[in-house]
Order: sequence, then C-alpha cells, then structure tokens
Amino acid sequence: MNVHPLTHRTRRQFFQDCGIGVGKIALASLLAERGLSSAVNAAPTTPFAPKPTHFAPKAQRVIYLSMIGAPSQLELFDNKPKLRELDGKPIPPSVIAGQRYAFIQPDAAVLGPRFRYKKHGQSGQELSEVLPHLGSVADEIAVVRSLHTDQFNHAPAQLFFNTGSPIPGRPAMGAWLSYGIGSEANDLPSFVVLKGGGNVSGGAAMWSSGFLPSSHQGVPFRSQGEPILHVSNPAGFDNRAQRDSLDLIGDLNRANHATIGDPEILTRISAYEMAFRMQSRAPELMDFKQESQATLDMYGAKPGSGTFATNCLLARRLIERGVRFVQVYEPGWDHHSQVERGVKGKAKAIDQASAALINDLKQRGLLDDTLVVWGGEFGRTPMVEASAALGRSLGRDHHPQAFTMWFAGGGIKPGISLGATDDLGFHVVDDQVHVHDVQTTILHLLGLDHERLTFTHQGRPYRLTDIHGQLVEKLLA
Amino acid sequence: MKTAGLAIPFAAFAISTHAAPPDFNTRIRPILAANCFKCHGPDAKTREAGLRLDTEEGSRQAIKPGDPAASELIARVTHADPGERMPPAKTKITLTSDQIETLRKWIEAGAEYQEHWAFIPPQQFEPPAVRRADWVRNPIDRFILARLESEGLSPSAEADRYTLIRRLSLDLIGLPPTLEETDAFVNDPDPLAYEKVVDRLLKSPRYGERWGRLWLDLARYADTNGYEKDRERSIWPYRDWVVRALNDDMPFDQFSIEQLAGDMRPNATLDQRVATGFHRNTMLNEEGGIDPLEYRFYAMVDRVNTTGSIWFGMSVGCGQCHTHKYDPITQVDYYEMMAYLNNADEPDLAVVDEAIRKRRAEIEARIAKLEAALPGQFPPAKGDGPIEKRRAGNLNRKFNDWTAKAEKSATDWTTIRPVEMKTNLPKLETLEDGSILSTGDITKRDVFEIAFKLDGFKAPITALRLEVLPDERLPEGGPGRCYYEGRKGDFFLSEFEAEVGGEALEFKGASHSYGKISIGNGNANATNVYDGDGSTGWSTSGEQGKAHQFVLNLKKPIEPGSAMKIEMLFERHFAASLGRFRLAAATATGEVKATKLPVEVEAALARNGGARSDADKALLRRHFLSVAPELAQQRKEIDALRKSLPAAPETMVMLERPADNPRPTHRHHRGEYLKTEEEIAPGLIDSLAATTRQTPKNRLEFARWLVSDRNPLVARVTVNRAWQAIFGRGIVSTADDFGTQGDPPSHPRLFDWLAVEFMKRGWSFKELHRLLVTSATYRQSSAVSAELHARDPDNVLLARGPRFRVEAETVRDIALAASGLLSRKMGGPGVYPPQPESVTGLAYGRTKWNVSQGGDRYRRSLYTFVKRTAPFAAYLVFDGPTGENCIPRRDRSDTPLQALTLLNDEMFFEAAREFGRKAAIDRAAPEAAAAGIFRRCLTRPPSGKELKRIVEYHDAQLARLKKGELSAKEINGSDSTDPDQAAWTLVARAILNLDETITKQ
Repeated sequence: MNVHPLTHRTRRQFFQDCGIGVGKIALASLLAERGLSSAVNAAPTTPFAPKPTHFAPKAQRVIYLSMIGAPSQLELFDNKPKLRELDGKPIPPSVIAGQRYAFIQPDAAVLGPRFRYKKHGQSGQELSEVLPHLGSVADEIAVVRSLHTDQFNHAPAQLFFNTGSPIPGRPAMGAWLSYGIGSEANDLPSFVVLKGGGNVSGGAAMWSSGFLPSSHQGVPFRSQGEPILHVSNPAGFDNRAQRDSLDLIGDLNRANHATIGDPEILTRISAYEMAFRMQSRAPELMDFKQESQATLDMYGAKPGSGTFATNCLLARRLIERGVRFVQVYEPGWDHHSQVERGVKGKAKAIDQASAALINDLKQRGLLDDTLVVWGGEFGRTPMVEASAALGRSLGRDHHPQAFTMWFAGGGIKPGISLGATDDLGFHVVDDQVHVHDVQTTILHLLGLDHERLTFTHQGRPYRLTDIHGQLVEKLLA
Repeated sequence: MKTAGLAIPFAAFAISTHAAPPDFNTRIRPILAANCFKCHGPDAKTREAGLRLDTEEGSRQAIKPGDPAASELIARVTHADPGERMPPAKTKITLTSDQIETLRKWIEAGAEYQEHWAFIPPQQFEPPAVRRADWVRNPIDRFILARLESEGLSPSAEADRYTLIRRLSLDLIGLPPTLEETDAFVNDPDPLAYEKVVDRLLKSPRYGERWGRLWLDLARYADTNGYEKDRERSIWPYRDWVVRALNDDMPFDQFSIEQLAGDMRPNATLDQRVATGFHRNTMLNEEGGIDPLEYRFYAMVDRVNTTGSIWFGMSVGCGQCHTHKYDPITQVDYYEMMAYLNNADEPDLAVVDEAIRKRRAEIEARIAKLEAALPGQFPPAKGDGPIEKRRAGNLNRKFNDWTAKAEKSATDWTTIRPVEMKTNLPKLETLEDGSILSTGDITKRDVFEIAFKLDGFKAPITALRLEVLPDERLPEGGPGRCYYEGRKGDFFLSEFEAEVGGEALEFKGASHSYGKISIGNGNANATNVYDGDGSTGWSTSGEQGKAHQFVLNLKKPIEPGSAMKIEMLFERHFAASLGRFRLAAATATGEVKATKLPVEVEAALARNGGARSDADKALLRRHFLSVAPELAQQRKEIDALRKSLPAAPETMVMLERPADNPRPTHRHHRGEYLKTEEEIAPGLIDSLAATTRQTPKNRLEFARWLVSDRNPLVARVTVNRAWQAIFGRGIVSTADDFGTQGDPPSHPRLFDWLAVEFMKRGWSFKELHRLLVTSATYRQSSAVSAELHARDPDNVLLARGPRFRVEAETVRDIALAASGLLSRKMGGPGVYPPQPESVTGLAYGRTKWNVSQGGDRYRRSLYTFVKRTAPFAAYLVFDGPTGENCIPRRDRSDTPLQALTLLNDEMFFEAAREFGRKAAIDRAAPEAAAAGIFRRCLTRPPSGKELKRIVEYHDAQLARLKKGELSAKEINGSDSTDPDQAAWTLVARAILNLDETITKQ
C-alpha cells in the first residue's frame, strides 16, 4: 500500500533537514510502501543514489531501442514459407473474423515474405537476410516471436508499451524505474530519451512522469549541439560568471533561509548545484573524441549526425555515466506501402549499430548488468495493404495479434528463441507474451516486483502493469 | 447507523491518547478499507465468503459487538495458521499488532459504524471559543486558533506589509505588486488599508486570469487534439469564457451548470453554449485507421471521471471496469452517470457575437446595393438614342442570348423522395426540400440504403443526380460529416449502387461538377463510384460549405412507377459519410452531364416554353448579372467585399441530441469498449442519492443536482480547492480523493463551516477568497522555527502563514511583470512565447513553434498555446499540466532542470536584459539600481547585507566585462556594448533566480 501523503512530505522534510535533496522523496515513500521503515534511517545521503530493490536485480540499467511505427516481423524475424505459397490469395475469412484493422478490408490477400532467412551462430537463430550484423550476435540475444498487444493504432500502442495504458497521462516505464530505484548519476537525469528523425506518435506522454513526482520525467537529449535544454549558458558567459552567479544566488537564498527557516530553500540551493554539475557534465558527455575510430566505425556513428548509430553510442555513454534508463526512439517503420523497400532501408539503418551496441557493452563488461530491449509497438499483417485513394501498394497494415522483439544482456538467457505463431504468422500459438508481461519482466530484471511498485493517485494504487502481467520465466538466464 | 457530524475528532492525525474507543471514521475504516474491503467490500463480484465489512449489517457475520473473543474477525486476523489467517498470504498484507489491538478495542466498545464523513451533508456549527479572542479577524481564525491552543501552539506574528501585499497579489491576481502599489499600501495609515488592497485585487481583470488557470487545470484545457497528430483545435473562446465568468463572479453553481449543460438551458445564449466546451476538452485521436467510436468512448470515460473529480472530489474511475473496491460506487452507478453525459452531439459553434453580426450586416447591405446597381453599369449598345435605353437593350439582348444557349444544355430534374431509409448507424431524415440529412454517430464504413418509388414520371428515367449540399449543422458547413483526420466537412463516396426489381442498374458514364480527395494521391474520377473498389471514390475536398453534383447515366432506362433502391458506401480509414444530399431523376434523351450551374438556375432554365414564372425570370437575370463577362470589372468590388466578411472564431460545444434519436449507453464488461452489456438509463450514484427523491432525468437536471445541497460533497470539494490554492495544502490534503481512502480533513468543523458559508454567500468565489485572505490565519508570517517545523512540517495546523513556490505560469508572469515586459492584453487565440525549436521538434510532424512577435511574446502565461504532445517546456518543468487529464492538485517539485530553465532559457534571459536596458537608461547609483531590481522582483527592499553582496557581484562582473573577459555585446543581445548594462543584466538574472522570487512567502 502507498504511503499516506502526509507522512510522505514529513519524510521529505526530514531528508531535507539532513541536507538531502529532492531525489529522496520517492525513496522515502517507496521504503514506507514496502514496510521497510527501518531502512529510512539507512537512506543514502546523496541525491539520486541507487535505491534498494525488492530483490536482487539482474540488471542495473536499460537501453530500450524503440522501433517506432512497428517493424514487420515477417520481413525480419518470423519466417513463414506458407505465406509465400499463398501469396496473392485471399486470407481465409475464418482467420480474420472479428478482427479490426486500421486501413485494410477483411478480404485482403496474403503477401509473401519479401526476404530470405538464414540461421546464425551456435543457437541457430533464424533471422532475415537484411539483418546480417544482428546475425553475428545471434548467440547473445533472445528472440521472442510471440508478442501480442491490445492496441492497433500507433499512439495508443506506443503509450501502452511505455506506460501500461493506451491513453496519455500515466508514468512511463523509465519514470517508474527512476521512482523505484533511482539513479546512479548525480549529474545527469535518471531517465533519458534519444530520438532519431521521424515521428513518435505518442509524443511527450511517452516520457511523462504522469502522476509520479515530476523529477522522474524522462529528459529528451539531443545527440547534437546542446544535449539538454538550457544546459548551456547564454551567449557571452563563461564558467566563472556562472559560478559567480550561482554563488550570489546561493548566498541570497541562504540569507533568506536564515530569516524564514523554510528548508525548501535549501532544496532549491542543492538543485542549483546539481544544475551546475550537469552543465559541466554535458560537454564531456557529448565529447565523442574520447571514442576510438574503431568504436565509431563499429557503430557506424558519425558524431553530431543524430542517426540511430550515434544514438546507440550516446546511449552507451549515458549508461556508463550512471543513467538508469535510456530510451532510443527510431521512427520510420510504418510500412503501409512497399514494405520490402521500407524494411530494407530501415534494417540497414539499425542492424550494424544494434549489433555493435551488444558487442561494445560486452567488451566493456557492461552487458551482464545492462538490459537491451528491441521492439516496436505491434506487428504487421500477413495480408497485403493496397489503397488507390492513398496510393499504397504491397504494404502491410497494423497487426496487434503477433509480432517479434528481442532482448539481450542483464539476466536474459542468451541465444534462445521463444514462442511461435501459426503458419500464416497471424496468431501466436506458443508461449504467448503480452505487453504487460514484457513490462513485468523488465521490472523483475531490475529487481522490482511489478505488483509492489505502486503509487496511489486519486484514491487508487496504480501500477505500470495495471492489473495484469506475468513474468516470462523462460526468458530468464 | 450513527452519523458522524459531531463525532469527528479535531485531531485527525495528531491523536496522542487513545483512552476513548477508537473512532470508526478516522481509525477503523482506514484499516478495514486498506486491508479488507478488496474482498469484503462493496464489490459483490470479488466478495469472498459472502462477507462484507463495509456495512454494519454485513459485518455482524464476523463481529460480535462487545465481544472481541467471540468475533470471527479477530479470530481470523490473529489465526496461527497462515492458511487461515486474514488477510490471506497471497495479498502480502499483514495487520500490525497495533491495528489488531485497535480493532479489538473498537469491537469491545460496541463496534459502531459511522457513515463516511464526506457523504454526510455539511452543517454549520458555532465557531469555537478561544482564549486569544483579540487575534481573531474572522470565524476561520476561531477554528484555527482553537486547534492551536489545544495543541499548545500560538499563531505567528502578522507578516510585514511588503510580504502581505506580495502574497495577496500573487494569490488573487497571480502577479507581483508594482512598486507604486507597494508603496501606497506600506504607507497607508487607513486601518482598512489591507481590505482596500483585497478589494482592488478582487476587482482586477487579472483575477479571472489567475483563477481561470486553475480551473483550466481541472477542465484539461488545451489548444490541440492530443494523441499522435495533435493538431490545433479552436476552443479558446471557452478559455475566455472561464476568465470572464470568474471576473464577473458568476456563482459556482451557475458556473457549473453552464459548463455541463449550458446548451440545454431554455433559449441558451451564445455564452451558455460556449461554456459547454468544458467537456469538449477531451482528446481527439486523429491517427489514420482508428475506430472513432472507440475513442469517443474513451472521451466519455474521461468526462465521467473528470465530473467525478470536480464535483465529488472522488475518483469514480474504478467503476469503468468494476465496482469500486473501497467506496460505494458500483459499476452500474458509473455507467448511469455516463448515460447523463453521453447523449450529446459534439459540433463546432461559430461564435458570432454582436460585433461580427453588425459588421457582416453592414457588408451585406453594401453588397446588395452594389448588386442592385449592376444593371445600371451594363455597357450600352453602340449607336444613338438615350444611353439608358441602349444599356437596357444591350442587357436584354445579352441576357436572352445567354438564356437561349443555357436552355439547350439544361436538364429537367425531378427530386425523388425516399420512401424508406436504412443505415448501419447514422440517422437519416428527409427535409422539406426533399434533401436528406444525416445525424447521429458515424463510422469508418457507413452504408446508406434508400428506397424510392419513382412515381410521377411520364417517360422512362435515364439519369440520376446526387447533389451534395452544405448545411450549417455540419462540420465546416458540410456537405460531409468528416470531423477528424480528413478535412472537416469532407465526405468520401466509395460506391454507389442502384437496383430495380432486384436487378442491379448499370451505368454508362458519370460526371461531377467538382472532384478532389483529401489525404493520399488518388483521383476523384466520377467512375470511381461504380468500379467495385471501395478504396476509390468521389469527394469534393476543398469545397466545404458549397454544393456540388454528381450525375450518372443509366444503360437501361427505368420504367416510371418502379421501385428503386440505392446503396451508398462511404469507406475510408476515417469516418467520412455524407451529411446532407438530395437525389433527382431525369428522363432526358441523350447523355446528361453534371453542371456547375446552381440547381435552381438549371431548373428555371429547364422550365422553358411558357412554364417559366416571374420568379424564375428574376432568378435567371440575377444569375446572369453574376456571371456576365461584361460586368467582370464592376463585380470586383462585390467579390472583395464578400471576401472581407469577417469569419467568426469557432469553438467546440456540446449539443443535446433530439428526443427522437437518443444515444444509448451500455455497461461495458471490464470497461472494454468492444464488450457492451445491457443498456443503462441515467441515474445517480445510489449511495450519494439517499436524500434525493426525484432522480434527475437528463444532463441539465444532473448538473443542477451536482451543485445542489443534495450533493454532500460539492461545497466541501470546491472550498477545499480554494483553500489548497491559497494555503498550499487542502483541509483535505488529497484534493482528488474525498473517498474512504483519502485523507480525513485536518479541521473538520472549519471545513463544514466554510462549505456551508460558501453556499450561504451564494456560491461566490470572490466572497470565499475574500474570507480566506482576510483571516488572521492568512496574514501570519511564514517564518518557521526549527521547533515548529519539526512539530508541523507541512503547516497543517497553520501556526504560520503559507509559503510555497508559485505555479509554473506564475513563475514566468513574475519575470514578465517585474521586468515590465508583460502585455496586459486579454483573450484571443493562443500565443507563442519563445522556447527552443527543439521542444516541438520532438513532436509528430516536427511542428513549428512560430514565436510570436511584439506584445504577444509577453502575454500572460495563461494565453500560451497549449500543445498536448509538446507542452511549453518552461511550464512542464515547473509541474505545469499537459491538458491530458483533470488535475485537481499539481505536483510541486524542485529540480535542477528548473534551475537551468530560469538561468538559461531565452525567455527569462530576455526579462533580465530588459532590467539591464532600463538600468542603462536610468544610470542610478549602484545601490539604488540594485535595490530597484530587487524590489521589482521581491517587492521588499533588500537588507543592507543583501545589497552589499549584490553590489559586490555587480562590481566584479563589471570589471570582467570592462576587461573583455565577458562579452557585453552578447550579454546585452543588442548593438549595445555598454558593460554597465550587461552587468545589470547579470544582476537581474541572478535575482530572477532567487527562491524568494518564485515563492509566495
């Protein structure tokens, strides 16, 4: 059960009196929630320090590669020879009875897979020919071909994955984690968002802290220029001027505190000090010159380009500096038309860097406790999408019934394939994994019980997984 | 059952002794609610062993009053066997020994139940007697002081006048006082000086802006639709209505009724209709391919939940999926409440006010005059004779020529009237002119089946005509009903089929007067409607508000008197069926083509050979004058005038559906859109309606009930929000939860007194606010000693004045007002103050944020354009709302990102520069300049030490500027290289960043 708001703030004051900053609010309530009130005394003394978990975590941090628009599992992971056989024939009406689609009509014809498949590594993972680099790390990843979701439109489905609800307004997974276990960084936010070119349908609601304290909000970073909004001083300044200014502000705030006594003033002073540390950290973070040419080449990264490859490298740099949850959005997967050309192009954009990220984390000893997640918001239809009005042909529509994701690193059993769909790739037939199950499993790997990570809002305790969620045990190492 | 009333103890949370039997509402219910109600509560579906502990009657199964040892409840919570112990092990909940002891004592004392305090109507008791009666300024103080005295605490001294005027100004108008206002108050010897300030502020138009913002939090106001595309919407007239209503001190009951059901008031005024925008502030998903009715359902869920939050102070949302686990709200209650709100259409309303109406009438009169003058400007024929005669002659000749020519291609159409109409969902009705109007809900795949009896024809029918017609009831004036994703008012006719006697008619050639489709690169060819492909079709996109026509020639003529059935299919990835249309048939020989001529003109032309009436002739002549090439020059002014007709701003409103076409409401299994269960009639939440004899029948009556004394919650909830805004914490700290899980009131008697007082004073917000701010409680200093802070860190007892950081919008408004940049213009469409391009660059379609220039750059923050998927960054970082949900209580965080915003955001730096610019003009002595900036931001003068420190900083920066270590030109952001100006800019920046600047102290 959640802590009473009154005690909640009492504890915040307590921490502030002890010179502890804002990050502790959530910890206090979390501890109280878990009935670990004795742990309050043992609370860490620096802001944004890691917080105790429900049980021993397997992963310390997450890099979530969000493929926005929904990649076609049939062109990438889920090989369906039967579709090739039936190409051009109408899909049996019995299969699609009662299903709703965004664009196509129920009598659409089957579209065969556009690419060949190949087996990789000792695990024999079967991947499409457009993912050769990923093939080279096939033994490191767990491929799950049995995902399904409740939502068949982009914005709601993306929000559903990120927040557990299709309607904007709930906290994102990264915010839940920040609230649940805090951050390892004291000069960077705990939840960082990176975005490639293109549209993210869910918008800012995707990294919202919802009803959680707003300090857990995801902070969008830019991979070029000023990484955090307003992290640079106005023109004409130097560091010393900024330091002088902060000293003046601090002194005047302290003077007011001496008269007024409100400890909130001390909280503001420490927030300004952390802001100053962020200002110094940001240029160092963005200094890609620290990376070897070999590393840049491995990713295919061009500093300042804002590509997926650069974002993957930046994600690694962020988690190295203690950021808890990095979400990399890569839009452009919504192939309603010409799915072959589209998937080929996007696969080329992400294949090398995805594999490089895994290799890089591994060589730095970070893969063991860093969870990497790759996936879109739903799958794509085995049927073709074509529309004269929209000028579409040889595409695939949204398909919530079955799609594929892969996972790697912290606590994931490497080199496995989980789940299967029917011959048409239409429905999941084995080891069904729901969106809430993915959320449950991610929280679990980070040491959190999804049923105990709650926050009471408007009289109701909320969870990331609503009232659902099963741990996908088969995925665990 | 005993009612709470007197029984609520004062010290709800600070009870130190437990000699008396534990009070049910404050001590027992919280234990039972948190640990037992989930399986033994209101929800029959999840109830275990048929036991309910939320009612006295139900509890007796497990509780024997006076005898804990014989009570199964005690036996089970203390059972040694984990398999038998309650709560069950799987819940991971165990009762503490304290809790068990409390339950035991309560049972021993008789196990009395009380109704939940919030469900009992408030009563006004005499304010308590106090020892320090001289401290009391109004009855609020008696309640507060009595409590302090009982706790052995004393109130703080009154704050100084600088603090008071700043606190009052921030609270009542959301802006800091000016230097002049401050000095006037500080030096005012009048004993009523304070009350005079309160009066002035309550009368200020800024009052509505300040309190309007808080209401808009509840209304989840935004200027975009939300979800993926998040396109702009026009609903700012609603926002302006809120500001006006608050400035006019519209009583809260009326304020509520107008917003919930203004459209249903008898002879609803324009304002009353605009007010119903309140529940149009829900989001609208325009993503391609969505099911529009699914998202309408989600919007309804939001409306029910928001209504619950605002007028009950309770989350009724649980009821969407199941009966509430803790509070007495059943799933049926939930959908009964939805049924009240669910019977409205959601049109746009053109806000044609008097000014627009007048201007339009003026222009139209001028047009009429110019048109009447056209014949007199027709070029005369060459030759002799009086010019007017030649002119008339020429006009007649040209007119006759035109008529003769036009007659030849005119077809004699006969409107055919339906004998039967069927659709998948929309309702079709035949209007007087034989046209058909579609109302009700539409889907992505609408099918109209219409039957005709082709009587009255003298020859076989060879062609059919479909007219698509504008209508002001339709989006953008129609002819279609598209309201999202595609162009408003658009339609998309995919297929048109007709049959006679079971035999499908075949077409040979089709034509239209105009064709264009929106979204996608497909064509709008006429033949698309009978090509058997639903993805092709006809549309008149771009011609909203105008009539067009579509003509089909039949391969085989239809015999007169036949029964014909047509089927029209409207199928796209968004809902786009026709709103108003008319069918006609013709018996012409030869191929018939669609014409751009208005149908009345074509009809008049077709009536030749003596059948033409005088009216026909006048019509034709008017038409000729409007097209005659000879008058092209003379018509230019008319055309320009037509273009200058002022467009009225649109706003989104509710409109109750007609009695003959109600929208049914169903219960939804587990709240899922697709799982509809039985139909539900409107009704009140049973547990709250005990004293209501007549159940409200519709939305208007429901709205009236919500703000009547029959609703025990509304006055308390409303008073609590005001208290929260002013004192920083509600009397019930969970302003969003007055249910059994919420926090009990800190001062129950005061709370009820205020609630009743609010109603007695005619639900007046201004009177309520006046009451709060004229109390001695409010006027206390907010300084706190370590002891007092340890004793009451949240200032629940109010032994000191309120102190907290102001809201996001006020943070910016303070900077604008202090620097003198603030524009005081009120109302109108949202404006775009500066923020980095990258903020909206992250949003779908990388929306441009075209920064407003001139005064609009510095308008009050209330008027900043609210984009849901990319909220204005500086507000979001200070816990501003996103407009996605109803927010009864904002978070109040303190983060490094706030520091970065205040330090480095262009907008705040601009305010600092404005200070620098003025300082450079004033050229005051450093101490005076520093004190001036300080006072503009903080109202009070700086202390000597503060002043010294500021000047020291100024001098140090000035020295560096002079040495060129810092760039004065860049800091000034202008051509000025004046180092002094830059140094004052730096000083102002620091002072704008002080905790005190953005705090109500």
